[in-house]
Amino acid sequence: MIDPTLLTRVVKGDQQAFSQLYDHSSTLLFTLAVRILGNHEEAAELLQDVYLEVWRKVSRYDVGRGTPIAWLITLTKSRAIDRLRARSSRGNQATNALEDGTAPPVADSGPSPLETQADEELRVAVKAAVAGLPLAQQQAIEFAYYEGLSYAEIAARLNQPMGTVKTRIKLGMSKLRDGLQQWGNHGGSNDA
Amino acid sequence: MVAPMTHEELEESVPLYAAGALDRIERQALEAHLLSGCTSCHSALKNYQSIAALLPLSLNPILPPRSLKAAIIAGRNPAPIPAEAAPGEPARQSLEPGEWMDHLFPPVAPARSSSLPWVLGLGTLLIVAVGGYVAWNLSTQRSIATANIHQLEASLKEKAANLAEVQREVSNQASALTDLRNQLQQRTTEAADAKEQLLQREGELEEMRVELSQRGNTRTAEIPQDELATLLRIPNAKAVSLTGSDMAKQAAGFLLYDARTKKAWLYSINLPECPNGTIYQLWAISNKPISVGTFDMAPGETAHLLVKKVPRFLDAKTFAVSLEPSSGSPQPTGPMYLLSRS
Repeated sequence: MIDPTLLTRVVKGDQQAFSQLYDHSSTLLFTLAVRILGNHEEAAELLQDVYLEVWRKVSRYDVGRGTPIAWLITLTKSRAIDRLRARSSRGNQATNALEDGTAPPVADSGPSPLETQADEELRVAVKAAVAGLPLAQQQAIEFAYYEGLSYAEIAARLNQPMGTVKTRIKLGMSKLRDGLQQWGNHGGSNDA
Repeated sequence: MVAPMTHEELEESVPLYAAGALDRIERQALEAHLLSGCTSCHSALKNYQSIAALLPLSLNPILPPRSLKAAIIAGRNPAPIPAEAAPGEPARQSLEPGEWMDHLFPPVAPARSSSLPWVLGLGTLLIVAVGGYVAWNLSTQRSIATANIHQLEASLKEKAANLAEVQREVSNQASALTDLRNQLQQRTTEAADAKEQLLQREGELEEMRVELSQRGNTRTAEIPQDELATLLRIPNAKAVSLTGSDMAKQAAGFLLYDARTKKAWLYSINLPECPNGTIYQLWAISNKPISVGTFDMAPGETAHLLVKKVPRFLDAKTFAVSLEPSSGSPQPTGPMYLLSRS
């Protein structure tokens, strides 16, 4: 789990703190970027931009609005989705794991040496919660979350009614909330 | 036009928002609703956002390239930008957690390629150049506008001074005109006085002319032939002939009367010499005889002219000359020598 005071030190220009922040979050953020973009090089490029943005705008982080890792995840996801949409507008469709059924290549995987017991427990809980969702709900949520598709776009892609897709997402998110309620305020912890 | 979403619809859209499944319009509608202060939706979103932030933990971890950290450390600025040192950035209104408000203010350039730094550099340079040009242009335009304003102000002051001068001139002209009008009034009054005096002088002159004429008549008595000649040319003069009576059958007379001047001329001839103590007296007889005047016939005189003023002469129908005492008589007492025929 990332200590909020770490970001406070980064705000003051502490390069050591920034280095620690990277160590604690880069694997999770890189994993997320690869999942969205489906490309390691582009994910690395994105991550470089994200961390530089964090370095420049870290003072905007408000601990009252969420955990540091939640902030980093949201920032990374937002920038990755933007990049994905821009790529789609250029006609260069990304290869998507959910579409072709193949996982992105894993250059290096495994738990981070910095991961704590609590982090591992959280990871297990989240995996279990997601795996516990009906496949249709899981698929709809992942289309929205990792590809930035609206429920209308998902409905078109899956050839399903929009109301059905909306219901799947709502139900899926509700189940995740119920299953992970005790973890919600912790957000993502350190390097996964 | 899309109908506004109800609160129930907005509330139901919260989990979809957290998952990123709303389209732009629905997303903005919910964000507007959240910013309006709905605490229940805010609380729900906080819950769902914290759950959504956990989803990447379900992925199999992938380690980033080892060179990435060095690149990031090398590429960052010397120090992070403090919040107050980021001008132009809107104050964050996000609810919970992190960057969900990025959807409200989406990035301008979401995609970057391998040439992105160059593009960004060129873009920044272009923006700086355009900004500089715009600033310079605005500054120039402002300077020109300021100069124009100053010029207009100076021109306005000059016009105002000219106007004041013209007003003073007009005032002077008006004053002069008033003086002229007063002078004209005075001259008119003086002219009226002069005219009145002239009329008075003309009256006086007429009186003097009359007096002179009267004096001239006196002179005519002294030179009766001239006046008689003038009288004979007057068309309206009354002429009465007189003939001698038995006392002087050779005698005759001719009487002229001018009504305008009320004068009578008697030209008598062949009247005998007046005895001592007597005198001839001319009478105008209407209802009763009225003395016109007396005259004497000296020894050897055969003709005589008598000129007299006769105020009441118009009614006279008969004229006569009698011999009277030298002092004259109020009524004829002596013998008649001349008588008019009518």
